[in-house]
Amino acid sequence: MYAHRRAVTAVVMLLLTALLATACGSGSGGGGGDGKVTLRIWDFSMEQVDFHKKVAEKYNQENPNVTIEWRAITQDEYKKTLPLAFQSRQAPDIFYWSESNMARQSLLLEQGWIAPLNGGEPLPQDVVSRWPAGSFIEGINTAEGKAYSFPFTENLFWGPGYMFMNNQVFQQAGLDPANPPKTWSELEATCAKIVAATEAECIAAPKKGNQFQRLWHALTGGTMSNLFFDYKNGRFSLDDPKMLETFAFVQKLEKSGYLTPGSIDQNFARQQFAANGAAIYMDGTWMPSVWATQGFTSDKYSVAAHPNPDAGPTGALVREPSQNVYWVSSQSAAPDAAWKFMEWMTRPDGFFVQEYYKNGFGTLAFADSKKLVTDPALKKIMEIAETPGFRANIPLPILKCPDIAKSKAYSEAASQRPDAEYEAMLQALADNSPLQPLAAGVVATRQKAFEDKLAAEQASGLKVSKDCYTFPDWDYRTDYGLDKYTG
Amino acid sequence: MVAPIDQVAPTTPPVAPSQRRGRGARPRIRARSGPSGVGASENRERARGLDRLWIVLFLAPFLLLYLGFTLWPLIATVYYSFFDWSGMGPIDDYVGGENYGSVLTDDLFWLAVGNTLLFAVATTVIKLPLSLIAAIVLTRTWLRGKRIFRTMFFAPLIIPVAMAGLIFTYLLNPSNGALNSILRDLGIVERSFDIFANRWSAMLAIVLVSVWQIFGQYMIYWMAALQNVPDEIYEAADLDGATEWQKLTRITLPMIRPVAVVILLLALVNAMHVFGLVVTLTGGGPGTSTYVMSYYIYQEAFATVPFDYGYASAAALLFSVLAFILVTGQGFFVRRAQRVRDEYGV
Repeated sequence: MYAHRRAVTAVVMLLLTALLATACGSGSGGGGGDGKVTLRIWDFSMEQVDFHKKVAEKYNQENPNVTIEWRAITQDEYKKTLPLAFQSRQAPDIFYWSESNMARQSLLLEQGWIAPLNGGEPLPQDVVSRWPAGSFIEGINTAEGKAYSFPFTENLFWGPGYMFMNNQVFQQAGLDPANPPKTWSELEATCAKIVAATEAECIAAPKKGNQFQRLWHALTGGTMSNLFFDYKNGRFSLDDPKMLETFAFVQKLEKSGYLTPGSIDQNFARQQFAANGAAIYMDGTWMPSVWATQGFTSDKYSVAAHPNPDAGPTGALVREPSQNVYWVSSQSAAPDAAWKFMEWMTRPDGFFVQEYYKNGFGTLAFADSKKLVTDPALKKIMEIAETPGFRANIPLPILKCPDIAKSKAYSEAASQRPDAEYEAMLQALADNSPLQPLAAGVVATRQKAFEDKLAAEQASGLKVSKDCYTFPDWDYRTDYGLDKYTG
Repeated sequence: MVAPIDQVAPTTPPVAPSQRRGRGARPRIRARSGPSGVGASENRERARGLDRLWIVLFLAPFLLLYLGFTLWPLIATVYYSFFDWSGMGPIDDYVGGENYGSVLTDDLFWLAVGNTLLFAVATTVIKLPLSLIAAIVLTRTWLRGKRIFRTMFFAPLIIPVAMAGLIFTYLLNPSNGALNSILRDLGIVERSFDIFANRWSAMLAIVLVSVWQIFGQYMIYWMAALQNVPDEIYEAADLDGATEWQKLTRITLPMIRPVAVVILLLALVNAMHVFGLVVTLTGGGPGTSTYVMSYYIYQEAFATVPFDYGYASAAALLFSVLAFILVTGQGFFVRRAQRVRDEYGV
């Protein structure tokens, strides 16, 4: 009887111990006693899953002790899953994070999520030279001399703001995709012909939450900037007359029936375009690779620059050093192995680069894109991006006021209900009401939070002010050069 | 003429609750089995001790789960709501009632509260009568193929909410959704319309999809309630020459009233947790016009990095107050209804 009880007790204790061991086990950094390491990498590039498998296999062939587990999570989920993983100490060794733009590194440091590359030692010169000069900026991807990330995609070709045209639908409407609409009026005329002559919709426009940005970025890039912050005047800008003018044009397109009806999401819009259900889709450099995975190859569509207001463009798309997206987790048990993998990944003539370009995923900051790009659509995208005034370097407050690296004013103001601008626009679009009152509300809330925090930080000794974010000599369409910060 | 059930004299004399329940009588029976008066008392004590032990043993797992997954999170939520806390690191930024102040002055919070209550009332008003009618029909002896109907009505319940939302997103899609195609083909509408384009039609869509999905569950509840009505009463009514309508209105409905109160309030409280359908059907849009409380809390807590647990906790607690009022109301109505049942010994 007692023996039986003891046996039961032993089994229960064993189970509990196993449970505890499982619960308390580290989620990241598979450093085993046998020297074998498992690196877990997370991102949200669903279209690159097969490519990442190949990369993992190749790296494992060259480094038999290292196994790569590269996992893609859908973008919306990713933004919630990754922070929760950090919270429960289950974070991956390397992760992709592209939120918060230029406040990204300070935010990630503040959260304690990231570890320096190369163990905090300066990066070897042969590694640094893979990027154009000035790619490592204190406060952007380095802090106190330690590098935390590196530009992944380059920032001239890479970005939103391109207009994709479905060749078949254009031809059905008697239009030539080689002669795309260049102005807003031409876009309306094109849409009128498409709607009259075909069964297809004119513009596939995602209208679910912040996915509305796919269309918005392209159109606002012709009037002002595709940021909701105006660096010329140091204020949040949805209520700026140029923004309102752009939105009024979107409303006109909607009212005329030129935008796909319904609150469709970006996946639906992309599929609709690929299935000849829409003539035009506006989005970014990544689209050729997204459509390629759906069997919609670049011979079936054409690419052009986004249309501009009839009076000519008065703005440009943003070019900023925000492509620092891969980070080594502070919870990684194998940060050295993580850095070694990153070094291998960024070799300009390495396997990763070759395969990345072969798949047409885009343009990397550490490779010669002009030499490596073969996809005709991507080549066209590069040609468009090089047009003067299409994309412009924006001013960098951190270069004007180094203490901005420690400031939370902008990131906190922008992250208060982060999609408020899109929510306001979609509300106005659904109600067919003016955007101005809603926009003014969003701007007032953000601006107050921004200026209040700046004042508090200033009072605590930080050398920050609204002036750090104000560049009156910038004109939206020309690069704000490094020479402007001197003196 | 059949009198309404609450006017019929009870067929059995009212029984005191303590007599109906067996617990009070048990020790007396055991005491009689003891060898002497002192022994009987000891036995009684031992029995009570054993009873208590068993009660504790059987309740322990539930109590542990309750403490771990209900009470502790509740206390933690109250605590977090007084801090500006991201969910990581030390909880040291005490902000007092600031989170509550911000929530209460947030228009979106009140919009979410309004939408949640609207959804709860609308789904309840639609699904309960419909499911009751279905349950009444499906409990008729003359109906053939009951199993098929039951399965058919119950099937949507086993579809995950996210899947149901996606199915209807595609069915209702104005570009190529089935609904618009049918309406266009029949010449009812000229141009596709987007049911999710404004607050009211989007809310209506969420309500109807929710009713479609949950209908079977409430039908089963009603069927259980209907099967509890003693057959003898119907037989007596048959002898009195009652029609089906009279039996329904004078016997069935009054008899299931106590259960109906529970079902009604269960339906209201469950509906206040709506989340998945909002995420998949509208994403809170257009704009923010279909935000409901769960979605609001989720967005406030997880929409930005760093997370805002403090603010979301305050919002959750404020909303819990509303839910608490409903649950308290439920208790009141259930007790009242139970008294009616007790009076008739059913």
